[in-house]
Amino acid sequence: MSNAIETRDLVYRAGRHFELRDVGLNVREGSIYGFLGPNGSGKTTTIRLLLGMLRPVRGTITVLGRRVPDEVARIMADTGYVPERPHLYPHLSVEAAVRFHAAFFPGFDAAYAGELRRTFALPLEQKVASLSKGEAGKLHMLLVLAQRPRLLVLDEPTDGLDPVVRRDVLSALLDFCSQGTATVFISSHLVHELERICDWVGVLDAGKLVVELPMHSFKNGIKRIRVAHGPSLVGDTPFVVLQREPSGLEQVWVVRGWQPPMVQWFEGVGAEVREVVDLDLEEGFVELLRSSRTPAS
Amino acid sequence: MYRQILHTLWSALRLPVVLLAVLAFAVPLLTVTYGGSLADAPAGRVAEWLFAAQQIGVLIPGLALLVGLLLGIGTWMHDHAGKHVYALSLPVSRERYVLLRFAAGGTLLLVPVAALAAGSLIAVASVSLPSGIHAYPVPLVVRFFFASLLCYAVFFAISISTRRAALAVLGAICGVLFADLLLAAIGVEATVTPTVFMWLTNWPGPLSILIGRWALFDV
Repeated sequence: MSNAIETRDLVYRAGRHFELRDVGLNVREGSIYGFLGPNGSGKTTTIRLLLGMLRPVRGTITVLGRRVPDEVARIMADTGYVPERPHLYPHLSVEAAVRFHAAFFPGFDAAYAGELRRTFALPLEQKVASLSKGEAGKLHMLLVLAQRPRLLVLDEPTDGLDPVVRRDVLSALLDFCSQGTATVFISSHLVHELERICDWVGVLDAGKLVVELPMHSFKNGIKRIRVAHGPSLVGDTPFVVLQREPSGLEQVWVVRGWQPPMVQWFEGVGAEVREVVDLDLEEGFVELLRSSRTPAS
Repeated sequence: MYRQILHTLWSALRLPVVLLAVLAFAVPLLTVTYGGSLADAPAGRVAEWLFAAQQIGVLIPGLALLVGLLLGIGTWMHDHAGKHVYALSLPVSRERYVLLRFAAGGTLLLVPVAALAAGSLIAVASVSLPSGIHAYPVPLVVRFFFASLLCYAVFFAISISTRRAALAVLGAICGVLFADLLLAAIGVEATVTPTVFMWLTNWPGPLSILIGRWALFDV
C-alpha cells in the first residue's frame, strides 16, 4: 500500500529554541493517522510543512504522490485542512463562506454541505465573526468534508470544544470516513480521543518522531511489568524497554512490543515476572514521552 | 474564484469605498459652487473662479492616495489577520492568488473612478464656460484612475510584503536620510533626499502623476 504522506529526514528550525529533527512520517493511504504530541512538540509546524506553508531546512515531503512545495496547489485541490484555529473571513455569512470555499473546489458537494449545515445547526445568515468557537470549528469541518478530499489534515480539530460539539465533529468525521477511502491525518494532544478513531499513531516530542506504529500495537504492546530479582543491567531484550524503576524489592518495567512468550527472557536472566499490566493509550503515551526524554538505563 | 474574491472584498470594504465614491462625486461639483453662467461674467470673476476650482482640484490626488491606501491595505486585511492560513489552504498558487486579489481590489477602485466621472460630467454640464476656458473631464478621470492605481499598487505591495522586506524598505529610507545628515555634517552641499524626491516626483518619475495641476477647468 502506498503512502498518502511521506517525509524523509525532515528538518526545520524556528528561532534558536525550536527544531524539528529528521522527522520521517509514513501515513498509509486510507488510514486514520493520529499525530500525538504534547503542546509545543511541533505538530502544527509539521502540518504546515506538509502543506507547503513553511519551507524545510532539509528533507523531502511527498503528499498524495506529489512533491511539496513544488506541487502544493495541486495537492491542496485534494486536501481538506482544518487549522488549529479557524481563519475564515469574519465578515462573511455562513452561506457566503460556503460559497467562497466552493468556488475553489470543483468537486465541492453542495448537497452534502447543506446536510452537514443542518446537522451542525449552523444558521445561514450568521456572520462568521459572531459564531462561537464550536460553531466556527463545525463550519470549517463542514467546508473541508464537503470538498470530498482524498486527504484530510486536521490540526487539533476538537481542542477547546465542549463535549457535545466534539462528539458532533467526530461523528461527522467518522461518517465521512465510512463513505470512502480518504486518508485522515489528525493531530491532537487528547490521547483518549484518538484512541477511538485512529488505526495508526505517530508520537512527536520536542521536534522528534518518537514512534510510529499501528494503533493496536501501540495499545496492546505497551505493558507495565512487575519483576522480582530483576537484572541490574539490561542487555539485548526482545522488547523495547521504555522505563525501569526499582519499587521496593521489585522492579517496575515499562516495555513496548511485549508478547506473552517473552516472559521466558526474564526467566533466562534469573528474574520472575509477578504481574503484567495493560496500559491504556494515555498511560502508554505518557510512558513513551518519559522514556524518550530519559532513556532507560 | 475572482467573483467570489471580489464579493468578499466588497462585503468587507463597501462602506469606505462608497464613502470615497461620494467624495469623488462631490469634489468636481464643489468646483462649480459658483455655478450658473460664467459665459458673460467679467474676467476678474472668471479668474477668481478658475483659481478656486484649481484649489479644490488639489483634493483629487489626495483622494487617489486615500483610495489606493484603503484598497491596498484592505485587500489583505483579513488574510493578514488569519496569518494567510486559510488562503494558503486553497488550491491556487500563491502568485495566482495574489493576482486574483489585486484584480479584485483594482475592480473596486473603479467605483470612486466612476463616481468622479459622473461628478465631473454633471459639473461640466452645470456651467457655461467663457471663451478660452475649457473643461477636461476625461483627462482628469483617466489621470485619477492611473494615480489611484499607482497608489493602490504601492500600498498593495507594501501590505503583502514580509516583515523583512518592509524593514529593508524602511532601512533604505533611513539610510538615505542618514546619508543626507552625514553629507550636511561634513559640509557637502549635495543632498540625497531632495534629489530622490525630485527623481520620484518629476516626469518620468513614478510619482509624477500625483504632482502638478489637477484641474477640471483650465485655459
